[in-house]
Amino acid sequence: MVRIFVTTEKNELISQYSKICERNNYAFNFSSDAKIIESMISAETPDIILIDDSTPTIDTKSLVKTIKQICETSILILITENNDIDKDLLKTINAIIPAKYSENLIEATISINLRMKGSLQKLSNTNKDLASSLYRLNTLYNTSSQFAGTLDKEKLFEYMIDGLDKSLSFSLTSTLSFCDSTNPVLILHSLYDVSEELLDAIKVRAIYNYKSIFDGKDLPYEVTAESLKVIKSIKHPSNKYNFTLFQFDNMFSPIALGENFYGCIEIFKENHFTSDDAKCFQSITQQVTLPLKSATLYQEIIETNKKLEQLERLKSEFISIVSHELRTPLTSIKNSLDILHSGKCGEITPASDKFLTMAKKNVTRLAGIINDLLDLSKIEAGKMDFHFNPIQIKNVIEDVRTALAGLAKEKSLEILTENNIDLPEVMADSQRLEQVLTNLLSNAIKFTPDNKSITIRTQLLNATEITYHPSFANDLKSLHGDYIVVSVEDQGIGIAEDELLHAFDKFAQIENSLSRKVGGTGLGLPIAKQLLEAHKGAIWCDSALEKGSKFHFAIPVDSARVKELV
Amino acid sequence: MKKILIVDDEQDIVESLKFVLEASNYTCYTAFDGEEGLRLAKEIIPDLIILDVMMPKINGYKISRLLKFDNKYKDIPILMITARSQAEDKLIGEETGANEYITKPFDLDVVLNTVEKYLG
Repeated sequence: MVRIFVTTEKNELISQYSKICERNNYAFNFSSDAKIIESMISAETPDIILIDDSTPTIDTKSLVKTIKQICETSILILITENNDIDKDLLKTINAIIPAKYSENLIEATISINLRMKGSLQKLSNTNKDLASSLYRLNTLYNTSSQFAGTLDKEKLFEYMIDGLDKSLSFSLTSTLSFCDSTNPVLILHSLYDVSEELLDAIKVRAIYNYKSIFDGKDLPYEVTAESLKVIKSIKHPSNKYNFTLFQFDNMFSPIALGENFYGCIEIFKENHFTSDDAKCFQSITQQVTLPLKSATLYQEIIETNKKLEQLERLKSEFISIVSHELRTPLTSIKNSLDILHSGKCGEITPASDKFLTMAKKNVTRLAGIINDLLDLSKIEAGKMDFHFNPIQIKNVIEDVRTALAGLAKEKSLEILTENNIDLPEVMADSQRLEQVLTNLLSNAIKFTPDNKSITIRTQLLNATEITYHPSFANDLKSLHGDYIVVSVEDQGIGIAEDELLHAFDKFAQIENSLSRKVGGTGLGLPIAKQLLEAHKGAIWCDSALEKGSKFHFAIPVDSARVKELV
Repeated sequence: MKKILIVDDEQDIVESLKFVLEASNYTCYTAFDGEEGLRLAKEIIPDLIILDVMMPKINGYKISRLLKFDNKYKDIPILMITARSQAEDKLIGEETGANEYITKPFDLDVVLNTVEKYLG
């Protein structure tokens, strides 16, 4: 019912307004005593207060001030004959009724102001709703950005509960978490403390809820109330909930994404949850599932990586130990053969010479394989030491050519060298380059038929002038600047086009039967590739079956780039 | 005749070294573990020691260090034999004071030449 209050002592005003109120079914009250007015409007807030400024017992200005303090939302209308109204007063009052207004006009003024008050009220309510929605939206936003910021499952649960608390201000939540599938945890967040009995009941209820999700089907994880660990967080420990908690309004949700189940949550609130609350609850408990999945995958990746790293280390250690263990018996075999072959233990017949030579050759081969394996495992483990110095490539070529001259002579092969101009020094580890070139040249010797020739060509080329088969684009496209390119060209069986790239794979099979015939570990080229990569260079080949092979490697001339490596 | 002490737990390697060195007129003493090697070194004071690295009880590095830091024995040339790779060995060898290092599998001629470099 609309309440009207008039502060006046004039009988004609009282009767006039009481009639108007009666007609419109408004509750009507009046007084001209400041104290009484004060107590009456405090007891029941009027919708409209009409103030007669001609009341001699009242100071209008101070009355308005008092009223405004008590009834903030009431409409104030001044009844006056005065044309010159105080400015401060004008700021506070909502309307003015001249004393000589007809009843119709008074009624209209009252009704207009009542409508205005209604609109204002609605506006203010809408504003409040808007503010609370905004707050909730903000909370949701914060919660989801928190979700995005972590890959820790326990933290995700923490953020979820925190977000629910901020947006729903619950009394208690009980969250069953399977972050660690073997150690389920009940996370309890509560306004007040809970007794042991109530806690037991909450545990049983959480497990019952969990089982109800799967409706008698196989549970993803086993859990019992006895073994369930509880993490409690209580805001006001001085108070305690009792069993009436279960009469509170509540909501429940599993925390799951497809096949992945992470837990379930029940939330209690003494007041009722609205449908907006339910949506918010749904939204938060849904939102957390995707980051939980990412976190699970991330954890798996970390674990797999750890295992891989361990395997990689074990592999390296294994190779290194095996090679060391192999060298000792190999030494004894080699020594015994050398002693026998030296003739110090008796005369050597041509047949025993043949077999002793064969045995010695194979010991050398075996030692080579072990060295290759060790080199490769060292490079892969990043333990290979390089000693970069300014060197002349032609010295390296000359040394290798001399070292392998004997081998070439056995097959009556001619080794030719070709330079286009005088070549600048390069920053390189000469020992490693020798290793690469020895490998290339000895391969060339192996595969070239007797009485033919092998060419070692050295050129200074810009990266743009280097041509290569598309198979090597990945390795060579990053080259830029100037390079010394060394090419070893043989007249052997060649390599089929589709096998080119695999030439540098570990234990490559391309050389197949011929490789068996001429020996080789299949590790020389992959080692060469790694050694050149350490020089910021590259190695590649071009070849066609029966046309011979050309193996090339490039070393950067810009010394600053190699110096970075040292 | 010059005295050479060979210390290696690999009996076969000791045998072959002994055979070749005795054929070149050196007197050889042998030990099969580090403890025995150290005891013999101090007892006979050889002209040169051939020392394996990986051995039970006391390893070769330790023996080398013990001898090289003792004025009585510091001048005895030590020839280290190891299955480890050169780079690592060079480093540790320098720290332990060994005069030479030879990587397994080694060439008997190389050992003989090295020995002669010190005793020839």
